[in-house]
Amino acid sequence: MSMKSYIAKRLLHTILIAWGVMTAAFFLMRIGPHSPADKYLATLGAGHNVSQVAAAIESRYGVDRPLYEQYFTYITSLLHGDWGWSFSTSMPVSDLIRTHWVYSFQLILLSSIVAILLGITIGIFSAARKNTTADHITTFFSFAGISIPNFWLGMMLILIFSVKLGWFKTYYDTGLPMFSLSNLYALILPVMTLATGMMAGYSRYVRSSMLENMNKDYVRTARAKGLPESIVLRRHVFRNALLPVVTIIMLDMSGIFFGGAYITEVIFGIPGLGWMSLKAVFSDDYSVVLAVTLIGAFVTLFFNLVADIAYTYLDPRIRYE
Amino acid sequence: MNITTYYWERIKGHRLAMSGLAFIIFLILLAAIGPFFTVSPTVVNFDEKNLPPIGFSVEQSKFSSEAGSLITTHVRGKWEHPLGTDGMGRDLLSQLISGTRVSLLVGLFATGLAIIIGAMVGVTSAYFGGIIDNILMRFTDIMMTFPFLLLLILIVYMFGSSLTLIILSIGLTGWTGTARLVRSETLSLRTREFIMASKALGASDFRIVFHHLLPNTISSIIVLATLTIPGAILAEAALSFIGLGDPQVASWGNILNAGQNDIQTAWWIAVEPGIMLFLTIISFNFLGEGLRDAFDPKSE
Repeated sequence: MSMKSYIAKRLLHTILIAWGVMTAAFFLMRIGPHSPADKYLATLGAGHNVSQVAAAIESRYGVDRPLYEQYFTYITSLLHGDWGWSFSTSMPVSDLIRTHWVYSFQLILLSSIVAILLGITIGIFSAARKNTTADHITTFFSFAGISIPNFWLGMMLILIFSVKLGWFKTYYDTGLPMFSLSNLYALILPVMTLATGMMAGYSRYVRSSMLENMNKDYVRTARAKGLPESIVLRRHVFRNALLPVVTIIMLDMSGIFFGGAYITEVIFGIPGLGWMSLKAVFSDDYSVVLAVTLIGAFVTLFFNLVADIAYTYLDPRIRYE
Repeated sequence: MNITTYYWERIKGHRLAMSGLAFIIFLILLAAIGPFFTVSPTVVNFDEKNLPPIGFSVEQSKFSSEAGSLITTHVRGKWEHPLGTDGMGRDLLSQLISGTRVSLLVGLFATGLAIIIGAMVGVTSAYFGGIIDNILMRFTDIMMTFPFLLLLILIVYMFGSSLTLIILSIGLTGWTGTARLVRSETLSLRTREFIMASKALGASDFRIVFHHLLPNTISSIIVLATLTIPGAILAEAALSFIGLGDPQVASWGNILNAGQNDIQTAWWIAVEPGIMLFLTIISFNFLGEGLRDAFDPKSE
């Protein structure tokens, strides 16, 4: 199979899964006990005919129509960018997403940069000193970094650096520009929180990928030519070791994204998508919770596709099956 | 030497795995017999609220009815509450023990459910192949596409947050990795001679799957299960931490949630459950790594 038809096949697969995701979300929504009427009925004053109001709301939101018709409307409006109405903020969900996604993006971007740079450096360091004390210590700390619950890490950073030492007293202020000094300063602890787990994971991947390559014939050849070890590591081993790492980082992205970033935003009050979603959970704003879940799934799909395509370009040996 | 002794000998040499195992055994003992030696985690006593752990002391301002104003007192930890108390005067040691029970329950049952579903899906998919394989694997792809925590939050938000429901939803959403692993292992086993031989002997599909295929994937399943447990424990803790846990139980995540609000005045509430959670997760990770090395014939 040629590369073009492989990519076409991957695209088709992605579209199929995206449709499956939307369908799964639709049926989850239908079997769930929540109805759009709940929110209104809860705030209804005395003297109203409850069943009449409920019927009116259900007809307004189309929940009284046949299931296949609702399904069709749901899919077409999603595709048109209509993600429903947010009851708690009285605005379209799509507008809400448009205002909040940048804050998640900023946090994730900064954390990824920190995590990738440090993770790769630590991984190479560890691999170059395989089975020495330095390697054992970094291995231990990587395990600690992978295992530490990031919400607890966030709280401990707040306890040590803001409560006890008083260094970080500022909070993220949406009134200021995103990259203003004050906001970047307020992002230091959140980035440390989110980046630690990622960094630990990446350093492990880099280390094992490096070690796998170090015993290969081409490395032996490079050493036999008399090249210094640092050049062998940097020019030969590292370049080949990077490929699986790139893929793993991309596949990992969305998980870390919407697991780690969600909670980090909540702890530090950064008004991104996770923060918005949790607020919606507590104000019983159904369509917002669902929208953030769907966005999470779509972002995952996107990165899977990019990782797949990137892999075929980066590794000519790959067979398109 | 039988095979169990062989693997035991291999894992015994793995120091981190052994310390992980030791801590897990300690946790099980703590959860099993701890409640007999501590006070109830639900006894409220406002006279003893926010007591620090033994060996620590804090300044607290309290309203004194004699002086008619706020006075600052020096509060020390008491032996009745060795790990201190929370904002309602409840004993933290007994709350942590209760949390140990919750976490172990979640780890055990959610992982058990996930592994069973995953193994069934994986082996069915690989053994029957064709259209069944296609449907099951596309369904697995769809499940995997939803970020784990987001899907959990959605389910808990929709159906409520009792501990049983949380365990069920972690199990019902966490099986995809197992399914893929078991499928790929079964695919390579399926064409091996011993499977063909049992087919030729007229063994039923059921027999081949349960007596020949699944037992041969068991070492990978054990490793995966060990590494799935911390994920399940962490998921419950994360849900409870953001306030979506079961309010009826004292889980580590619930205590951390309360500790977040009191972090200025009573740091120990936020510190102690986190240490337990961290040690538990790292222990399972160490044990899982050790098991993987022990089962891997290629490792030194």
